[in-house]
Amino acid sequence: MILIEGLTKSFEPSRRQRHLALGDLSLSVGEGEFVSILGPSGCGKSTLLYVVGGFVPPSQGQVLVNGKVVTGPGPDRGPVFQEFALFPWKTVLGNVMYGLVEQGVAKPRAEQKARALIALVHLEGYEDFYPKQLSGGMKQRVAIARTLAYEPKILLMDEPFGALDAHTRTGLQRELLEIWERDRKTVLFVTHSVEEAVFLSDRVIVLTRSPGRLKASIAIDLPRPRRRAELLVDPRYQTLVVEIERLMDTQG
Amino acid sequence: MQAHASSPVGFAPLLACLGLLALWEAAARIVGISGLPPAYDALRELPLILSDAEALLNIAASLRRMLLGFVLALLFAIPAGLCMGRSARVAAFFNPLLMIIYPVPKAALMPIIMLWLGIGDASKTIVISLGVSLPVIYHSYQGARGVEEKLIWSAAAMGMQKSARLWRIVLPAALPQIFVGIRTGLVLALITMVTSEMIARQTGVGSILFNALDMAQYASVYAMIVIVGVLGFVLDLCIEMLRAKLVQWAEPAHEIAVGTS
Repeated sequence: MILIEGLTKSFEPSRRQRHLALGDLSLSVGEGEFVSILGPSGCGKSTLLYVVGGFVPPSQGQVLVNGKVVTGPGPDRGPVFQEFALFPWKTVLGNVMYGLVEQGVAKPRAEQKARALIALVHLEGYEDFYPKQLSGGMKQRVAIARTLAYEPKILLMDEPFGALDAHTRTGLQRELLEIWERDRKTVLFVTHSVEEAVFLSDRVIVLTRSPGRLKASIAIDLPRPRRRAELLVDPRYQTLVVEIERLMDTQG
Repeated sequence: MQAHASSPVGFAPLLACLGLLALWEAAARIVGISGLPPAYDALRELPLILSDAEALLNIAASLRRMLLGFVLALLFAIPAGLCMGRSARVAAFFNPLLMIIYPVPKAALMPIIMLWLGIGDASKTIVISLGVSLPVIYHSYQGARGVEEKLIWSAAAMGMQKSARLWRIVLPAALPQIFVGIRTGLVLALITMVTSEMIARQTGVGSILFNALDMAQYASVYAMIVIVGVLGFVLDLCIEMLRAKLVQWAEPAHEIAVGTS
């Protein structure tokens, strides 16, 4: 589980300026919980994810993951970025295997596992393709498989579907839910889409305009497994979306 | 790739060469001065030079210095450029230095280095190294600077140690850029090789060339220029083949782009 305590993060773009991205944010995320973070752009929601990932140090406060203070990146927290961040010199198979080999798994075993994950994200037949030869949706599937490969307990997803077209996006949301419903990892999911947040999450966190502080935490008690077609006509889903949209519209 | 050889594109470079030779031949006949011998006279010198043991030894000596200088430069310049690209402090320190040294013709440093190390191989190899280093440092630096932070984060999350990132993430990611520098470096190596041998005439392609010039053997001068040109072409082809093999992943996707999401 993730415990965020009094987290403040400021950047100094120049000596005279100081930009406060996150202001005294406290939050806890339970084991196996799928939590989305919403907020106006520039509210520091991605920064929050980077601090939990250990990629960026906090200015004040701390993040605890399973009782231990985060001091740097680690394989217990697997990131998935909007920019995919695949290793361009590696093939699909090479990318998915990378973390496993890095963790000391023997090559044949790593390859076997990577192939299974490539199948899980429906990319059989593309094992020997380079990232440059893939579409955006395929790249993100590879990135998800690559992160799932080393079995992080927590997934940190930074607007993972933000760069994709609407059709690809809903397809990947469904696939992500299917994968998640299987092993229920803890997920911290940053997005700017209210529908996406409500569709996927157990709980939606809304941050205030910069500096990002906790504005609201809304439980999404819609039944699982969720089907998009059913949810869209479900009045509870509609009410939640409208409620959160309204929250986002009010200033502060 | 094989398909291209039989296509009309395959003949274009050959045509260009023949055209240049024809132009040369015509110009020489029209101008009619001894400083511009006809292409045929110069080319006739080629088998004579290439069957002369001493000339071949000279060419070999040049190549040896050049390749040694080239490799030494890469061993130093690539890590230096990558470190600069990943550390703002290192870059701030070395950048002004580089900007001053880059435009200086490295052969101009030859007299000074000769004072220290004599007119032998060491001086020439060092001057060649210097010539190669700067474009390689510059492009490695640019390449390393352009590496997406999230690539490094992704590797870090997998447990990769900080010390390994430069070699295992930054180097491969910057490799396409580094090769741009290597290609420029090769041309500079060739230029510096010839000029260094012109200044310290002991052995080598440059010393043959300029000795022939002193003795007014103009056909030989032109023949040597052709040899240097061909050497450059072949070496560049080797680098290009290595590049194609190592950074094939960075080539534009072309027809291989695939359909659906």
